[in-house]
Amino acid sequence: MKIEDWRDEIDRLDEQLVQLLNARSQCAIELGRIKRELGLAIYSPDREREVIAHVTGINPGPLDRTAVRRLFERIIDESRRIERVTVEKESKGDNNGKRKKKAKT
Amino acid sequence: MVIVMDETATEEQISGVIDKLVRLGFDIHRSTGVRHTVLGAVGDREIDWRDIELLEGVKEVLRITAPYKLASRGFRPEGTQITIKDVTIGGREVVVMAGPCTVESRDQVMNIAEIVARNGAKVLRGGAFKPRTSPYSFQGLGEEGLKYLRQAADRNDLLVVSEVMEPSQIPLFIRYVDILQIGARNMQNFNLLREVGRINKPVLLKRGPAATIEETLLAAEYIMSGGNHEVIICERGIRTFEPYLRNTFDIAAIPVFKKLSHLPVVADPSHATGRRDKVPPVAQAAVAAGADALLIEVHHDPENALCDGAQSLLPDQFEQLMHRMRLIAMAVDREVAPGVEAVVK
Repeated sequence: MKIEDWRDEIDRLDEQLVQLLNARSQCAIELGRIKRELGLAIYSPDREREVIAHVTGINPGPLDRTAVRRLFERIIDESRRIERVTVEKESKGDNNGKRKKKAKT
Repeated sequence: MVIVMDETATEEQISGVIDKLVRLGFDIHRSTGVRHTVLGAVGDREIDWRDIELLEGVKEVLRITAPYKLASRGFRPEGTQITIKDVTIGGREVVVMAGPCTVESRDQVMNIAEIVARNGAKVLRGGAFKPRTSPYSFQGLGEEGLKYLRQAADRNDLLVVSEVMEPSQIPLFIRYVDILQIGARNMQNFNLLREVGRINKPVLLKRGPAATIEETLLAAEYIMSGGNHEVIICERGIRTFEPYLRNTFDIAAIPVFKKLSHLPVVADPSHATGRRDKVPPVAQAAVAAGADALLIEVHHDPENALCDGAQSLLPDQFEQLMHRMRLIAMAVDREVAPGVEAVVK
């Protein structure tokens, strides 16, 4: 394959990565909502350790263990952030008297 | 803020620091290194960083942002220009503020105002209320002195800068002067800083003889946080171990202030050196270093001056210095106003 072909391949994989990262973030947003309702802290160190252990455990390479760890540290940083932003945004809604209607089942 | 964890920090200690920072509202960028874990704390929260430094497992806390905001260069990257009547401080012109240390009489100040105006100065300086080291030294003429300054300045088309010593004097100063000076000894008189922060006249803030650059900019922040953004920072020498001159002029503080802050910077070589023969070289260096203005003491009869005669330039010395500063200003893309034949109205 030529340089252009490899670059095209990288672009295609990046597109998948962006989709996957956003899908993962959506989970974090939902998780943030639940944490807020239950009054739980956004930061759960034990769970973050589990995530790192999981991804480094299933890592087939060629990325080494520490590289996977560093990459996921950044992903976790952003998850924590989006959870915080979600919690703050929705708590602010409550304070303004615009309490969101809870779905009645 | 960047937190560097100890080499021996446990995972629990790292979690403890992240937990604390998350509770404080920061977002964390964690980076686990071979030896040290580094935590980047991202957020616009005001915290006492020592609280983080004291947490277990923390090796070092590095502050990234300055503790001052309004005074920081980032607040106004293009720089601040302060225009009073037809004089702009912080522009291309290096504005010269000159006059006696103290107003002694109407004649004295009239005489000196005419000399400095003729040589291209734009602002008349002079003390009416003097913060003297000894209570037995001449303390100034008070309101009468301010009146003489105003009359002399108006007659010679000059602005007036004079030192205000306490909040109760502010209304009086507003009536007579164009720029209120906060003296070096009052740089951390926070009550006075807050009061001049509420007025809408420019303030010339002198760096304290033992104040760091950061402390000086925080003093400017006090004034600016009250709504008055027209602050001019003055470097006037600091205390060091060198006893030869009155103070050590911190020449590098000029470019440092200019880099850290958007505020105009004025240099005071008279108080920095305390000796008239040392004033011209330091004044020239200050122009070369990028000062936006100079504050220079001039006296027509320094032998008989009531205050700081030794550091006042004689009229012909001032004339020669102005000529040299014009040449130096050209070399650094600035200018010093030319002398004029007669401005007396």
